[in-house]
Amino acid sequence: MSKGIKPVRLKYKVIGGRSTLLSVALFLFFILLSKQFDAYNQSQLTNIATLLIAVFSITLLTGASGQISLGQGAIMAVGGYGSALLVTRLGLSMWLAFVLAIFISALFGLFLGLAAARLSGPYLAGTTLVMALAIPSIAVRFESFFSGDVGLSVDYGTPPTWLSNLLGEISIEQWSLYVVLPFTAIALFAVLNLSNTRAGRTWRAVRDNEVSAALAGINIGRTKVVVFVCASALAGLSGALYGFRGLVAPSVYPTDLSLTLLTAAVIGGLRSVGGAIFGTFAIVFLPDLIEKITKNFNVPETIGNYLPSLTIGILLLLTVILNPRGAAGALEHIRHRRKH
Amino acid sequence: MNLRKPLILTVVASALVGSLAISSVSASAAGDQGVSDSEIVLGMQLPQTGAASPGYNKVDDAARAYFDYVNSKGGVNGRNIKLVVKDDTYKAGLTITSASKLINEDKIFAFFGSVGTQTHVSVIKDINRRKIPDIFVNSGFSGFYTDPKKYPTTFGGLGTYTVEAKILGKYLKDKYSDKKIGVLYQSDDFGRNALAGFATAGLKFEAKKTSASFIAGTQGSIGLASQISQLKANGVDIVIIAAVSSATAVAYATAAQLGYKPSKWAVISVGADATTFQTILGSKGVPAATSAAMLAGTISASHAPAAGEADDVYVKAFKKINDDFNKGPDKRWDNNILQGMNIAYLATEALMGVGKDLTRAKLISYLENNGSKLSSAALAPLGYSKSTHEAFTGFWIGQYDATTLLAPIDGKRVVYTTDSGSGAVTVSNYKRPAIADDALPKVA
Amino acid sequence: MTSFLTAFFSGTAQGAIYALVSLGLVLVWRGAGVVNFAQMGQAMFTTYIASQLIQHGYSYWSAFIVALVCGAALGAIVDLGLMRPLTSRKNSKLLNSQSMRTTIPVIASLGILGVLKALAGIFWAGEERGFPSPVAPNAIKIGQTNLAITGFDLFVIGVVFLTLVLTTIFFTRTGMGLAMRASALNPEVTRLSGIKVGSVRTLGWAISGTASSLAGLLVTPRTNLSPNTLDLLLIVGFTAAVVGGLSSLMGCVLGGFILGYVISFVNVYSAPENVFIAILIFLLLALFIRPQGILGSKEVRRV
Repeated sequence: MSKGIKPVRLKYKVIGGRSTLLSVALFLFFILLSKQFDAYNQSQLTNIATLLIAVFSITLLTGASGQISLGQGAIMAVGGYGSALLVTRLGLSMWLAFVLAIFISALFGLFLGLAAARLSGPYLAGTTLVMALAIPSIAVRFESFFSGDVGLSVDYGTPPTWLSNLLGEISIEQWSLYVVLPFTAIALFAVLNLSNTRAGRTWRAVRDNEVSAALAGINIGRTKVVVFVCASALAGLSGALYGFRGLVAPSVYPTDLSLTLLTAAVIGGLRSVGGAIFGTFAIVFLPDLIEKITKNFNVPETIGNYLPSLTIGILLLLTVILNPRGAAGALEHIRHRRKH
Repeated sequence: MNLRKPLILTVVASALVGSLAISSVSASAAGDQGVSDSEIVLGMQLPQTGAASPGYNKVDDAARAYFDYVNSKGGVNGRNIKLVVKDDTYKAGLTITSASKLINEDKIFAFFGSVGTQTHVSVIKDINRRKIPDIFVNSGFSGFYTDPKKYPTTFGGLGTYTVEAKILGKYLKDKYSDKKIGVLYQSDDFGRNALAGFATAGLKFEAKKTSASFIAGTQGSIGLASQISQLKANGVDIVIIAAVSSATAVAYATAAQLGYKPSKWAVISVGADATTFQTILGSKGVPAATSAAMLAGTISASHAPAAGEADDVYVKAFKKINDDFNKGPDKRWDNNILQGMNIAYLATEALMGVGKDLTRAKLISYLENNGSKLSSAALAPLGYSKSTHEAFTGFWIGQYDATTLLAPIDGKRVVYTTDSGSGAVTVSNYKRPAIADDALPKVA
Repeated sequence: MTSFLTAFFSGTAQGAIYALVSLGLVLVWRGAGVVNFAQMGQAMFTTYIASQLIQHGYSYWSAFIVALVCGAALGAIVDLGLMRPLTSRKNSKLLNSQSMRTTIPVIASLGILGVLKALAGIFWAGEERGFPSPVAPNAIKIGQTNLAITGFDLFVIGVVFLTLVLTTIFFTRTGMGLAMRASALNPEVTRLSGIKVGSVRTLGWAISGTASSLAGLLVTPRTNLSPNTLDLLLIVGFTAAVVGGLSSLMGCVLGGFILGYVISFVNVYSAPENVFIAILIFLLLALFIRPQGILGSKEVRRV
């Protein structure tokens, strides 16, 4: 990510203070929350911190610049395979592999963006959906290189001794969270900055009306490509972290994953970073919540297994119909009303 | 767009959502979780829903039925066996999450009978690193079992695809040396593992001539017809199928539509479940008599008696337990139920064998040292030893008769045995001990 | 030569199905400017209804009719219950932006897809089942040789052409059809000329629902029916529609057959594992070389 927003190259002013504060706050919030959680929910928290980065990519892509992608899962796969291959084949350190995964997927995003800049709306949605299906199948096609369905086994490893000495015994779940969280905080920092600078305003202008944006001297094509590069860098990073939970393989990045990410972004509010956080919490914890409720009502397993996807689907529809701006929009609406 | 204002508030709201889902926080206790004076908790992961679920989604209910029966007889050393099941829809991303749930929230003692190769591969490393027993895995992928140093806690619950393909391949090669043998496989780990086994047995196939494939899970919506047409055009006489049962049914139907009648079909056992085969074809409007006739003559292999062998003592006992104790949505007796019951029987036997003082390490060492002596419905012993954790090392070759029963060819059952490496295929002389009258395993 | 004929015939047979799927997509696109990603979810649902009726002893054709009617109803419900309230929302800040007006309906249709799949799972336990075909699916013979095409395939091709002819007549010869075309091109002017744009749109959704329901009924005999099996068809159908031109009925049917041949020839001459990546490459090529589609006209492309 850091590369995509390098202030000098893109001539965007990076505003530091407030977004730094919020990123640190998010970091501490997750750490504090994890202290209240049992090991399973700590691992769910790691899931949230990981997927959040990919949901941020949709906040940028769809929320800020109006381009829709149903293929973020495929870009996650690019980041996942990139980092896993670097670790398993070249023996690179995990941390370096994560950083390189950002560049690999940003490069992929560049190509994707060049193709996608010509497309919008349903064309873009359909093309990225085809991509979500096709990219993971490459791993099966070139089996000897990508290890086919069995995939590449990778994990976060064990905490370094100096950290264990400092914090006491660190469980596998805690360590996973500690690996992911810094990246999540950096991603939040980047997204906040991007949205609130000239870049963000340019993107929004393109989103709201391409013709008037072009008249105002904005290079539409270039703007779209830049957004794609940034969003892909985020999604790729998320994919790398997601793969290191245990496995990088096609079935880790199915088409459903792309749709789940989009759902999280929409439920929370496409245009809000806070909304992305809320939406990710919702989709990760909803299945657990539903399981907890159904357990008490003796719901047969044939129904119970489908309830999470049914609930999430209905939630998505209700959001779109009643309040397309999502939870964040609703919140703002309430605050707005109270003021008057 | 103001991004910052609602941020703090939404973060708080998120925390609320999160905390709703939280159960009581408990410090991780030292020692082995999942065993108390009254209970042993086992966890199973399988696709209960989704494209890969048909047939296999009955395994958990069957195993639970057997455990319930054991519990009704007083359990194992006074402990009831509880089986917690998680649906992973055959997506590895979900398998990782639900494994964490089984370990940390359901506090299982061991993983038992997990179904699926590409899902289990995502968690096997973590399970082993935590030294949790991972017993009777329902996958024939040899990579899980042949290197116990890599996966010391994982033990198989199916004969490996390699062993089966070697035995089936050798049989076909010897018997039909004058015929052109071809293969139709699903292009995933299962199909490729089977191909490797056939290759070890000396059966090699040539792409576009004697070998056809399809993308696993598409069940013929993309180009199965053209692949089968190629086999037909190349005059393939004997077709081996390495695919799941629902795809096997589509392949038979497609071949029939194309007027392709190979003189023999041979199907790897996981894809040869007669019930699934007939159910699928039945809903396609094929009467049961016709689908039975389509299946008749098909060669397949099995490590256990056929589900339809009503006289077999194990089948008889398990069937009774299935009638009385299975609470699943579909309890029709078939191979999947037999397999579920049989691994539950084996697990009970192993837990009894370890004795009152049950720990994870003791279970693992018991299986490694005494596993090959455990008896079950299977007609071949478990291959467990210090050097391999692969399950049933033998298969017998049978042929479906007109009543969809897999019967030994020429009326005489010969069990062949081999390993997942390059070892030769030989005739096994294993004598299966009978099941006790109360259908509970007896440990010396 | 046999390989070629195999690829050709099975490509034709598959292409007919893809044509039907992309016809359904184009009908909604022309009528409402929305690409309906829930289309094959609707088809899956109605095919389950038909399958359920057949299993309870009803005849194939009565189940067939019921499924088509349900398809029409489902299409109309999606429009009335979801798409219309969505587009009539004037004061929403989010929908005021140009790009979001096309994006939000896509997301909505994905929501419907998720709900329909979950409901099918709950009602029918997500069990995989087959589906009967109305005519004997036996291979056509020339002399002694079986062709890689069955009587059922010919039936499908016939149905597709009938559907194409009927929809073309509908759009060019009937008042309702003309009104539909007009409202697709310019809703404001159409409304001013006294045509009820809303009901015309709903009719478009209903027709599309019927067409996709038909596609579901015709594809499942060749594969199995499960909540997920038809997903792939939507992706292929979409590619076909883009290749042929999202705005052209003839074009999308043509695109369907082209895709049928692409997939079939890749399958026969390359390998099934290459099919997905071939679809992606083909789609990207089509978008670069002729973004409006083979038979599409540039003005109508609403991007």
